[in-house]
Amino acid sequence: MDIRAGLTAILVLAPFGGAILCAVLGASRAIRSTIVLATGAILVVSALGLMPLVPFRLAAESVVGLNLHMLIQAADAILLLIILYYGFKHKHVVIIALAILQLLLASYLEFFMLKGPQPAEQVFCDHLSLIMVLIISIVGSIICFQAIPYMENHEHHYQTAPSRQPRFFFVMLLFLGGMNGLVLFNDLSFIYFFFEVTTLCSFLLIGHDRTTIATQNAIRALWMNSLGGAAFVIGMIAAYYETGTLELQKVLATSGAGSGVYLLALALLCVASFIKSAQFPFQSWLLGAMVAPTPVSALLHSSTMVKVGVYLVLRLAPGFIGTLLSDSVAVFGAFSFLAAAALAVGQSNGKKVLAYSTISNLGLIFACTGLNTGESMIAAMLLLAFHAVIKAMLFLSVGAIEQHIESRDIEDMRGLYAVMPLTALITVSGVIMMIMPPFGVLLSKWMAMEAAAQNLYVIMMVALGSSLTVIYWARWAGTLMSDPFAGRFRPEHQPLLTWLALGPLCAGAGVMSVLAPWLYLRLITPMLSSPYSPAYTVKAGGLENVYGAFAILPLSAVALLGLIAAVIALKRAFRAKIVSPYLSGLQTGEPSMCRGPMNQPFKAEAKNYYLDTIFGEARLTDWVNLGGGILLTLILGGAL
Amino acid sequence: MTRTAILIACGLIAGPIIGGLVSGMDRILTARMQSRIGPPVLQPFYDVIKLLFKEPLVVNVWQAFCAYCYIAAASIALVLFFLQSDLLLIFFVQAVGAVFLVVGALSSTSPYSQIGAHRELLQILSYEPLLVLVVVGFYLETGSFKLTDICAWNHPLLLKLPFLFIVLGYALTIKLRKSPFDLSTCHHGHQELVKGLLTDYSGPFLALTEVGHWFEVVLLLGLCTLFWTTSWVGMAILLVATYFLEVLVDNVTSRMNWRWMLSYVWGVGLTLSLVNLIWLHQG
Repeated sequence: MDIRAGLTAILVLAPFGGAILCAVLGASRAIRSTIVLATGAILVVSALGLMPLVPFRLAAESVVGLNLHMLIQAADAILLLIILYYGFKHKHVVIIALAILQLLLASYLEFFMLKGPQPAEQVFCDHLSLIMVLIISIVGSIICFQAIPYMENHEHHYQTAPSRQPRFFFVMLLFLGGMNGLVLFNDLSFIYFFFEVTTLCSFLLIGHDRTTIATQNAIRALWMNSLGGAAFVIGMIAAYYETGTLELQKVLATSGAGSGVYLLALALLCVASFIKSAQFPFQSWLLGAMVAPTPVSALLHSSTMVKVGVYLVLRLAPGFIGTLLSDSVAVFGAFSFLAAAALAVGQSNGKKVLAYSTISNLGLIFACTGLNTGESMIAAMLLLAFHAVIKAMLFLSVGAIEQHIESRDIEDMRGLYAVMPLTALITVSGVIMMIMPPFGVLLSKWMAMEAAAQNLYVIMMVALGSSLTVIYWARWAGTLMSDPFAGRFRPEHQPLLTWLALGPLCAGAGVMSVLAPWLYLRLITPMLSSPYSPAYTVKAGGLENVYGAFAILPLSAVALLGLIAAVIALKRAFRAKIVSPYLSGLQTGEPSMCRGPMNQPFKAEAKNYYLDTIFGEARLTDWVNLGGGILLTLILGGAL
Repeated sequence: MTRTAILIACGLIAGPIIGGLVSGMDRILTARMQSRIGPPVLQPFYDVIKLLFKEPLVVNVWQAFCAYCYIAAASIALVLFFLQSDLLLIFFVQAVGAVFLVVGALSSTSPYSQIGAHRELLQILSYEPLLVLVVVGFYLETGSFKLTDICAWNHPLLLKLPFLFIVLGYALTIKLRKSPFDLSTCHHGHQELVKGLLTDYSGPFLALTEVGHWFEVVLLLGLCTLFWTTSWVGMAILLVATYFLEVLVDNVTSRMNWRWMLSYVWGVGLTLSLVNLIWLHQG
């Protein structure tokens, strides 16, 4: 068997196999952990093995030796029936209606429209797929590893009996398999099937705890994503109607047609992607998803689910280059970037800040995709990769923090450094990597801004959004370190797997940032074929084009020098005299205690500004949803 | 290679020297406006040297770390400016310094320091978009973000970017910590929060934040000179006029609150930028 076919099969099927094993044999903790670790290891190795082999196209039959088309169609029908079942179970009319609609449309496509031979090359793996596979397999597996100790604690805390972990890991692994399938297949009907797999998996994971609020939010996620599924089917039918093929690469190759129906098909697929990526006005499902155990949030936000949307739009971008659709996607994305950043400023709930920051970053990726130039596509792909790693790390840290201090409120994390020094430091470094040069996220933001400078709507919104972003991250980092002197640095106790997840993610993000020029050459340049051109040249360890330059390596070296100086200063500061913070000279011996009137002690404290009256959810959400809705209408209308 | 080394050295030396002198002249000018004589022009250097040799006292060891990061970022930004690097990159590097200064202030539990830090964040929020848009304006006119190309432009950019120069003036006023935008920390003793942000930086660490500030001032004044790169006289006129105006504004206005600052600076600044950018875009 062809090694490429073999690896493709392993990447998709191994998680499915692992999932089923978890469900069947997972009652024992040791067996379950072994299965998860083994599946993760297989995924990581296969994903790395795929690196030298791309790009390639394959006939799917060669992968499993079966007529996949029929198999997938059957599986798809079963999947929709399961969703229908949940619709009836929870008596949710919208879910029922959308599931039936999708069943009808999918059958119509299958039985009445599809004619002639089906796509011969159903597997398509280029460097975009490769980047996605690497993110899904590596970051996704690390999250699953960390979930092992986390879920143990979680069930201990909530006293769940009998354990529901076999089901939990069944769905987690299934999710990874579905994601790999989605990015490796080329046939739209296959992509649709995996699209629905991710919808169902996220529904099951969000509702995992079976509390009222968890069920409610899971249902919301299901109906919204079903709406995305419906948009996907209609888009798929329109694409087939116009081009006579379901092979995505062929569909995109006919972009010269540029007809209304063709663009409408792409616009509908974009809308489906926006819903998956929780863009406004569909953000509420992702915000609701944080009721789930934290590894679920980490998975949804970093390597799966929301990344489906950006992947698809990146995939479709060559099809709508130079159209109004492209411009409207750019404006829509920039709007999301700005609006989500503004909403994040108003939040004191750590997980919500992370959620809005995800929506915001995805918005920026969409904006770059919509700008549709070589530079902006590079920015989008780099941001996709860096965001996945850092966001996974931040969610896992917040998960660890939450289990320790039993709160996810930023105010309660005040002075966390004294309690959990290492986790606090990792979180702060995550924050730094989100907003500061020479790290990858900022590198891509820099590229995005330079690429967006020609588009006034986009650059205005990106400039505003970017400064709002700095506010909510800096505030959080400062709050974590806010404490009177905490004594010597002693890492707190955490399960080994937690450190093994946080450590590599943190180090990985740093190393990736330094190696960004080579990542660019190795992973991104090869896929920038026509209509794009590899916009940057690598010069002296930096990226440079006609109008801009970012000296990554020299800057990293200088930053490292600065860091070393600062660390030396830190060490020396340990020997300096420690004094109490300024309290108008009224401090007593106790930390933060003042002498008040009548010599009575009182505690002097200040809380963070959350600017609720300007950036609060109550104030902004309606307006932002309205704006998002109007822009979506523009996207669909502009396509016509 | 040697040229690069010389430019780096220039950046590192010119920053504190010019910055300190500007600060000294600022104090004299301010004093004259308030009918005082004022300190000698070298007073800022005396102050910093005295602070440097004081016994280090810390409220939180991370504050020392942040002070070093602040001055590192501020000096790197200025060096990049001298090396004629990418303007947007320089902007991002100076933003690092601004953030570390805030994080350092937040690491103290003193309410003065905390409130100062949050106000500083609001100041950052106010001026950052403006600086980005000024940079975008340079790009739209010259077709490049690189300072090499911007400096080689053969017309004074002021003629094409007049509104953006005013916008830069707003950002400059906030960055220089001048009234009416001196919310987080200021030079005048009569405010409700005087040193806010810097309350708990002391001794050598306070000296570092002061020198870091000089680097930032020089960088911003350098940004002003970009509006008239074709003649030295023009540059000098622009700088002197701008700085005189800054001191004047500082002395004739009183501190406002952050709500006013945010709405006013964004309202006026963004409108002016938009008008100027549309003009460039269509022109």
